[in-house]
Amino acid sequence: MSRKRIARSTTTTVMIDGAPVTITLDEDPAFAGLRSSLIEINKTPGVKGYILKNTTTAVINLQNPTKLVEYALLSSETMDACQKTSELFNLSMTKTVVEGTEIKMLSMIIGENKLSIFMEKTVDHTDIFRRISP
Amino acid sequence: MSNDLEAFALKSTLIEVKNACPDVSHAFIFKDDDTILATTEETNEETAAQAAKALNAMSKRANTIGGLESATFYSTNNRMNIFHVNDYYLAVVGSGEADEKNSADLTRILIPTVLRLTEKISDFSREENLVEKPRVPEVSTSTVEESSTDLAAEELTVEEQVELDEPRSLLPEPPVTQFMVENVNGLYKFSDKFSDTIRIDSGVIQQWKDLYGEREITEVELETLNGQTTRCKFKPIKDSKHDGKGTIQIPQRIQQTLQTSKGELITVKPVIE
Repeated sequence: MSRKRIARSTTTTVMIDGAPVTITLDEDPAFAGLRSSLIEINKTPGVKGYILKNTTTAVINLQNPTKLVEYALLSSETMDACQKTSELFNLSMTKTVVEGTEIKMLSMIIGENKLSIFMEKTVDHTDIFRRISP
Repeated sequence: MSNDLEAFALKSTLIEVKNACPDVSHAFIFKDDDTILATTEETNEETAAQAAKALNAMSKRANTIGGLESATFYSTNNRMNIFHVNDYYLAVVGSGEADEKNSADLTRILIPTVLRLTEKISDFSREENLVEKPRVPEVSTSTVEESSTDLAAEELTVEEQVELDEPRSLLPEPPVTQFMVENVNGLYKFSDKFSDTIRIDSGVIQQWKDLYGEREITEVELETLNGQTTRCKFKPIKDSKHDGKGTIQIPQRIQQTLQTSKGELITVKPVIE
C-alpha cells in the first residue's frame, strides 16, 4: 500500500511598506529540510536572518524586520545577476557571497529553492555553506 | 589624454592579473554607469556590458549592507569574483578555487595603485594646463613693468618669475609599469651592441612621450621584486607578436645583474632628469 505525502500548509504575515502581506507556506520536503537547517543556522552568533523562497512559498526571518524589503530586493537582484552571468559565461553558478562593508550575504539556488542568509562579516560563511548543503 | 592613459593602464593591469593567475579566463573593468573600461582579449565587450548591467543592479541594492565591497559567484568548477574599488568594478572569471586568494590579493593591490597613478597623472595634466596657459601674457606684462625702471616693480618682476618657474620643475612621478621578463629574441641576443639595451612595449614608450612631451628619455630603471635595481637603455619591441603582451625583453647580462630570469616580474620606470 502506497503512502500519501501530505504537504503541510501554514500562513504567516509580514509587513511590507507598512501593509500586512500574508505568505502561504506550502512546504515540500526539500523546502522543509532547508527551512529547518536555516532555523538552526539562525541561532549562530552573528547571523542576522534569512530569506527562503521557491515559486509558491516564502519564509522570511530577520532580526531587523525594517530591512525586509531592502534585503529581499538585494537577494533577488543577486540571484538575477548570478543567473545572467552564468548564461553569459556558460558557468552554471549556484552559490554567491556578497560582501558589504557592514554585512555579508550568502545566496544559494538549490533546485527550485532560493535562499539568502545575512550575517556579520566575521561569521565563517564556508561553514554555513557546509551546513546548508553538506 | 587621461582617458587613453587610464584605459591603457587598466588594460595593462588586466594583462598582469591574467599573467599572474593563469586560471583566469575572462576579466573586465566597468563603472557604475555600465561603461566598460577594459577587457582581456578573450572577453567580448558586448558580453561584458550585459554582465556589468546585471552586476550594477545588484551593487545598487547592496547599499543596504553598507555598499558592495566584493562578490563571488561559485559553480562546481568555476568562480566569478567582483571587486569594487573606488568607482570601478573588476570582474574576474576563473576556473577552480585554488588561486582565489592570490587573485583577490593581487587585485586589491594592483587596481588601486593603477587608479591612483592615473588620477595623479590626470591631476598633474590639468594643473599643468592651468599654469601653462596664463604664463605667456603674465611674463610680457612683467617686462613692461620692468621697463618703467621703478625699483618696486623690478622686485615684483623677480618674485613673479620665481613663482612662474616653480611649476616647470613639477614633473609627474615616473609611472611604474610591471612586466614579465622574456629573453631577447632574434639576432639581438648575439649582439654586444645591444647587451645593455632592454626592449619594451611601444605603447608604454608612447605613454611616456605623451606624459613628458619633448623631454628626452634615454634610460629606464628596472627593479625586481627582490629590490635589485639597475639602469639601462631601452628600445621598443619590434616583433608585433611580442609587443603589447606585457613582457619585457632583457639581455642575459642584465638579467644576471638583477638576479632575475624569464617568467619573473619586474617593474620599469623612465629615468627623468
